[in-house]
Amino acid sequence: MEPRDLNDVVGRLLGPAGPEIGCDACFEELDRYVELEVAGEDADAAIPGLWAHLDGCPACREEHESLRALVDGEAA
Amino acid sequence: MSGATLVGEVSTAPPKPALPPDLDQESREWLHDLRAGGGVREAAVARLHALLLKAARFEVSRRRATHPHLRGDDFDDHSQQAADDALVSVLRRLDDFRGASRFTTWAYKFALLEAAVKLRKRAWQGREIPLEDDAWSSLLAEGMEPAALAEQGELVATLKVAIDSILTEHQRRVLVALAIDGVPIDVLADRLDTTRGALYKTLHDARRKLRAHLEASGLAPDAMLEETD
Repeated sequence: MEPRDLNDVVGRLLGPAGPEIGCDACFEELDRYVELEVAGEDADAAIPGLWAHLDGCPACREEHESLRALVDGEAA
Repeated sequence: MSGATLVGEVSTAPPKPALPPDLDQESREWLHDLRAGGGVREAAVARLHALLLKAARFEVSRRRATHPHLRGDDFDDHSQQAADDALVSVLRRLDDFRGASRFTTWAYKFALLEAAVKLRKRAWQGREIPLEDDAWSSLLAEGMEPAALAEQGELVATLKVAIDSILTEHQRRVLVALAIDGVPIDVLADRLDTTRGALYKTLHDARRKLRAHLEASGLAPDAMLEETD
């Protein structure tokens, strides 16, 4: 295993340093968060803890990336 | 300002707010038609299913490269099943739509979730969750330079001792499976007969305990990340 991979593992073991919301709250807020992002507004300030959760939860991060890409594609 | 509950806080169900007066016309029409009767509702449900199928196919297409074992028919089956399940969820939760986004964005997330979860579970079908000892040993790969191996070995040993000494058996199992073995959270939730939300709470608590323990031991957790760069 390369050192980079170990860094990823340590990151996943420790998780985000700041306060974060959970998976259920993330799902509830994800649509609003993405639309704020697409509109160029400060989504992190509007929904504190969601970005930190995406940093700590690969599954929610994937779903955020997909919703963002889908909405971005429609807006283009 | 969001009312989202931070992990570790007690969640209370807020009263359902009325739809915002500036809700876009298309979203209003979706709600109106889905709550109507007869043919109007039937047509709206069919349109909604088509919308969800588009989102499910989008997700499946994005993940296709990471699922080489699946054939074309499998992908379409996954998309259809995800759209069917998402349709049930959206219709069941229609009253939960608060108008915080467009209706279509709100609906899309259900289809993306269903498709993503199905793909993760399919990828782990028939696979065992690795044993904890195997997970730790996998961090020290063969072929590394002796100096790098010694440095990484020291870091891994520090983490393992901390995790073994402060976490409960359940916390340790969850943390190792998710963080080291890379088991998807939905798959682990299924195997442990729990929910993704409950499992993430366990992961969050384990991470907090680990961070606090390392700090109390004079180790700066975030500096450990930099050391492995």
